[in-house]
Amino acid sequence: MKKIVTLALMAALPSGALAHSKVEETTPADGATITTVPAEIGLNFSKDIRLTRIEMAHEEHSAVSLDLGDQTSFGQEFTIPLPSNGTGTYVIEWRGLGEDGHAMQGEFSFSVE
Amino acid sequence: MPDIWGIAAVFAKLGLYIGFAGSTGLVIVSCLYSGIVAPVHRVMQRQARALACLALAATAIGFMLRGAALTGGVDGMVDPEMLGLLWQTSVGDVLVYRVIGAVMILVGLSFPHFGLWIALLGGTVALWSFAQIGHVPELESVGVQLLLLLHLLCVAFWVGIFNPLRSMALMPEHLTDAAELGHRFGRTAALVVPALIGAGLWMAWLLIGNLQGLLFTGYGQALLFKVFLVGLLLTLGAANKLRFVPAMQNGEAKAARHLARSIEVEAIVVLVVLATTATLTSVLTLPS
Repeated sequence: MKKIVTLALMAALPSGALAHSKVEETTPADGATITTVPAEIGLNFSKDIRLTRIEMAHEEHSAVSLDLGDQTSFGQEFTIPLPSNGTGTYVIEWRGLGEDGHAMQGEFSFSVE
Repeated sequence: MPDIWGIAAVFAKLGLYIGFAGSTGLVIVSCLYSGIVAPVHRVMQRQARALACLALAATAIGFMLRGAALTGGVDGMVDPEMLGLLWQTSVGDVLVYRVIGAVMILVGLSFPHFGLWIALLGGTVALWSFAQIGHVPELESVGVQLLLLLHLLCVAFWVGIFNPLRSMALMPEHLTDAAELGHRFGRTAALVVPALIGAGLWMAWLLIGNLQGLLFTGYGQALLFKVFLVGLLLTLGAANKLRFVPAMQNGEAKAARHLARSIEVEAIVVLVVLATTATLTSVLTLPS
């Protein structure tokens, strides 16, 4: 029985990615190091999605939700204003809904030196 | 790793599978073997109702959890904007199918004889919902959707025999009926199980399409694990059909107890199969 449960847990927690959580391109690029804090961030998706939440975490500040403004319809390209927290690492976590009803999520980060 | 909402969604889906496969399966068995299962008919009805209620609850919770996945917080479960968004997609469509299906099962079970057919239709509508969302609709083929429905009906039939057969096998006064039920199920399963496996393998091939995807992706590996478990089930099923049931037909009460134990193990393995499927369809992405 223990073997069956262990195998089940192994199958339930594989290394696969979350379903349909792919973003084609971000601005700044994931892992990039830049010299000034960008005024906005960009997200490009391969298929239409409706963004539902974007959070920004900074090493010296607690996470905050970013304002989606009027970008509340399905689309592939989104540009979101970014508040400046100075130098350091920024982690952007996004969530959205695919047109097929799949919840999507992902994150990217960049550093400002 | 999925986040907490992804993990919760897997559990909600497991409840959905158990609820709909179990209740529809009990209805199918009631329709096919009404005369033989008469001694456990009332218990079967009670269980089918409870499982339909579980399916209904899992439907509602699963829908709300999708809202939570959109915001990343519990607030999303009751956020009208998020739930309204979901309602406009195929998630809203399957919610309707599942609620209608569960209600039809519950209503059908309240009427004798004719009601069973309403419940069966309800179960089929609910199972059809699984062909409307997830990876299969992405193939854009009604034939494959019907194949999935066939697969699910076969699974339901298999799951539905567990409790009536086990209960009757444990009633010494109904040993002959239990043997007859086991014999008839075995005869039908000889057709149903190959259909179930054939449909499953065909869909797997259509979804994955190559050996590399099967061997080297999380999705493929989970699918292989499922095939391994189905192999275990077939072994148990073969023992039931070829050994225990014939012995029961010869009046051996001990064989009936063995059959009951074998069914209990089968039920646990099926639970793991369903949990694997819930993971496959909720958090794993298809190989590209």
